[in-house]
Amino acid sequence: MSQPSSTLPADSAAEPVKRSRFRPNPRTWRDRWTFVLFVLPNLALIAMFIYVPLFRNMYYSTLNWTIGSARATKIGLDNYVRFFTSPDGIAVWRTTGIFTVATVGGSMVLGLLVAVVLNKKLRGSTLARAAVFSPYVLSGVGVGLVWLFIFDPSFGVLGYFLRSIGLRSPDWFLNPNLSLVMVIIVYIWKNLGYCAVVYLAGLQSLPSDVMEAAALDGAGSWQRFTKVVLPLISPSTFFLLITTILNSLQAFDLLKIMTPLGNGTNTLIFEAYLQSFGAYQRAGYSAAIAVVLFLVLFIVTIVQLRFVERKVHYA
Amino acid sequence: MSGFINPAVRSAVSRPSLSRRGLLGAAGLGMGAFALAGCSGPDVSGDDGPGAEEETDWSTVEPATEISFWTNHPGSSMELEQGFADAFKEETGIQVNLVTAGKNYEEVLQKFLTAQTGDEAGDLVVVSDVTWFTYFINGTIIALDGLWEHLDYEISDYRDALIADYLYEGKHYGVPYSRSTPLFYYNKDHWSKAGLDDAAPKTWAEFDEIAAKLTDASGNDAAFAYPKQDQYPGWTLSNVVWGWGGGWSDEWDTSILVSDETVDALQFVQDSVQKSKWGMVASSDHAEIFAAGGVSATVQSTGSMNGIMETADGFEIGVGFLPGGPKATDNVCPTGGAGVGIGAKSSPERQLAAAMFVQFMTNPENAATFAQGTGYMPVRKSADMSAAIAETPQLGVAVEQLDHTRSQDYVRVLLAGGDLNLSGTLQTIMTSPVDVKAELEKLRGVLDDLYETDLKPKLEG
Amino acid sequence: MSAVTTSKKTPSQDLRQVDPNRRALSVRNVIATLVGGYLPLVLTVLVVFLPLLWMMMGSLKQPNEITTLTPQLLPKEPSLDNYAYVLDRVPLLLLFRNSLIVTVVGSSIKVVLALLSAYALVFIRFPFKDLIFVIILVALMVPPQVSMLPNYLTISELGGRNTLWGIILPGLGTAFGTFLLRQHFKTLPMSILEAAEMDGAGHWRRLWRIVLPISAPTVATVALVTIVTEWNDYLWPLVITDRPETMTLPVGLSLLQTLESNSGSYGYLMAGAVMVILPVLIVFAALQRHIVAGLTQGSVTG
Repeated sequence: MSQPSSTLPADSAAEPVKRSRFRPNPRTWRDRWTFVLFVLPNLALIAMFIYVPLFRNMYYSTLNWTIGSARATKIGLDNYVRFFTSPDGIAVWRTTGIFTVATVGGSMVLGLLVAVVLNKKLRGSTLARAAVFSPYVLSGVGVGLVWLFIFDPSFGVLGYFLRSIGLRSPDWFLNPNLSLVMVIIVYIWKNLGYCAVVYLAGLQSLPSDVMEAAALDGAGSWQRFTKVVLPLISPSTFFLLITTILNSLQAFDLLKIMTPLGNGTNTLIFEAYLQSFGAYQRAGYSAAIAVVLFLVLFIVTIVQLRFVERKVHYA
Repeated sequence: MSGFINPAVRSAVSRPSLSRRGLLGAAGLGMGAFALAGCSGPDVSGDDGPGAEEETDWSTVEPATEISFWTNHPGSSMELEQGFADAFKEETGIQVNLVTAGKNYEEVLQKFLTAQTGDEAGDLVVVSDVTWFTYFINGTIIALDGLWEHLDYEISDYRDALIADYLYEGKHYGVPYSRSTPLFYYNKDHWSKAGLDDAAPKTWAEFDEIAAKLTDASGNDAAFAYPKQDQYPGWTLSNVVWGWGGGWSDEWDTSILVSDETVDALQFVQDSVQKSKWGMVASSDHAEIFAAGGVSATVQSTGSMNGIMETADGFEIGVGFLPGGPKATDNVCPTGGAGVGIGAKSSPERQLAAAMFVQFMTNPENAATFAQGTGYMPVRKSADMSAAIAETPQLGVAVEQLDHTRSQDYVRVLLAGGDLNLSGTLQTIMTSPVDVKAELEKLRGVLDDLYETDLKPKLEG
Repeated sequence: MSAVTTSKKTPSQDLRQVDPNRRALSVRNVIATLVGGYLPLVLTVLVVFLPLLWMMMGSLKQPNEITTLTPQLLPKEPSLDNYAYVLDRVPLLLLFRNSLIVTVVGSSIKVVLALLSAYALVFIRFPFKDLIFVIILVALMVPPQVSMLPNYLTISELGGRNTLWGIILPGLGTAFGTFLLRQHFKTLPMSILEAAEMDGAGHWRRLWRIVLPISAPTVATVALVTIVTEWNDYLWPLVITDRPETMTLPVGLSLLQTLESNSGSYGYLMAGAVMVILPVLIVFAALQRHIVAGLTQGSVTG
């Protein structure tokens, strides 16, 4: 009941009986005009602010052009070559890879654990479900500021705890690798509720004889969980894998607030922002990165299209 | 959270019936959109380099009655700037609107450049040592020589080195305004507790020797605070690498960046943080930690002097020339700070009014007032600083050091993104146990690439 | 809609489903339930709520309680000074008003556009209808960040920098709402509409009088998700505004962050964070069922 796939074909089944070719009579024309009136505003806005920019970006990506400058030179695919070969370009791929794998893996594994806890149907678990989900809807700017205060090596509460057990607070703000770890932790905190709720729905749709195994308590339960439950909730896993990958690739607010200069945290999208609106004003190069980002998202979606029906085990 | 609504819908794309047809459809619409794509954007015809604009005949121009001044109020100078604007209005009737365009020079640059696409860029803008060339190369500020002549600026009374900083191919693009150098600040209480003479160290080796005494005397973990990435470590550490005989670049040649001299200098810096541990990298403004007594010494802009003196927590502040290194002990202090430029998009009337305001704001009296109120250098030779120095002797040291300065290396100040990458690398070297040479090699690759692909074509074009 | 129905159940219903053995109130079972069930549950909730509590408390602390190496959770002398300071430093009420306008106007238009498009796509005959739907849908694959730069140039040229319409306009085309509503409309029985058609009601009346009332919960879900997204939106307003007078709350908050860069300023920043987080938290607490359902729709629609 909770599989993405099961929702979707229903759509074509509900299609009204196909009528034969439209015959142009006055009522049909009025219908058509109504259709145009209803759909056109939305379609025009989408075309103007989503499709046209996409292709304008492709054009800009072939220019050596600084924002604010009225002139530019055509340089073909140089921006792309540079992004794929220069050290800072390669660093962006590395950062994006680490950030995506860590946040997707972290929020899914922790999300599943939380879902198992929530699934025990204890008094208050409905409330807990809402509580766990809530960070997902909060402003990334606000959340980023709160966690900066927590991570602050001198005045943050985390440093205080580390000091009280005799450790020194790591240089979260200065060391690029640690900055990356910091934003990963906060991103997982913000998103694991989403994974938990999706997994919870998956667990709750399991047949009742499997439910016992999903409770994850008693001897040998871990094995039963991995052998029985995990395969049965694989549609949820696959759905989450795709959606969290796509979301992680678009994470921006937290990164911008917690590491304004992008020291060690330049993912594709953050780099695209920094290149055009940050220190360089390199609009052409930034456009090339945006195009690459779009292609990556496109490929992830295509993978989903190709594999969603075949590889996933349905209950 | 942009984009968080997508997951629900993305799964919809997985409807098999949609896939191929859908993508084709989107592609079709896209081709239509592509036709529209060329409708706006930059001119790619390749004529007219920057600086090729026509010279205005200023004698036929009447000054505008209102202009805007985009500034970050360097050295917390908002009240001083407002005072200049008010006095100028009284004298000429021209209204100057102060616009806070960012917290630092880089933010002002970003705002100003992006504003070029719209219709409301500032008429007068703060341009720093690092940003002015980017303003210029993108044709967003004008050459001032014609205006100077028309308004009878006493150019010879401005400090020559500071005026020359904005010179490119025979034309000047800025007037020095909030100019500064780094200065060595020390905590006199810690110094006397450690039994040291009341003087700044002559060399970094000397400081290395006394550092342990200072931490013992103060009880602090560290004796010295280095700046973090957004506090311009590339500027203050110029001093260290020059002292060792290294540098960031020799004009555009970056081989000196990976020379043994530069590597040794930065190895010294890294060791001071990670081995002997007398140095620390502040997680906020390093001057703030110093003023709170958290370290015994630091190197920060003269422009921060008044701020430090005001917040210093119950101790006296000593200042001195920047320490030297094994290869050089004189002229190891970089110039820095900012000037003001006039927007190319503004009307000639507004440009003229802006130039008049600059002339007023940097006249000898106002230059002295500004220097006294902030700690920035007096940009006029005839600015009378005697009263100010009598009141704050530290200012005298700063002014004296002005004669022992050196212009900064090209890759830091003339290359857009140069300082950003440099400061990032410096922060990494200071805070992580990385190989100094390898980091510098990496940085060199990035800087060379920035120059070759971004700047060189524009310089030649 | 399993996730949604669960939350409707009362606790007693929940208990009925649990293995009867567990219900025996033996001491062992109570302990097992506490350790195996409640302990992890409470821990999870704490992990979520402690940072938010820390924020609330921080916003009430005086500067000397912020810049201390031994922070306490509770402020010694709670005060609203930080809020007063923020109010003085950035035009907070103006930002709040801007956010409110952008959210209300933007979401209203989006929901209406989505309703119109979805209705037309389901109930009005038109050639190549599916293709049009696909064109709308594929737009979801283009993240807003990709269109950021060209949209910036377009809006700048139209004179929309530092205006509220400049913030609202580029995001108005809505694929998300159109998709959700279309899926829902498809489940409505055609017979109702056919009856209305017999009575001579036009499409306009059919949409507002018949389809809308029976779809209210779904429309509410779409509206809520849209409202929360608009309220939190950061990248686009950040790019298109640089004057406090036209900023939205999140952008104003990041302005505060750059203005207050010294470490003693966390108190102000926490006060600002509370201003932007609390309204959403309240709306979420009141209407969480709809919001959770909307945001996880892809996996829970049955």
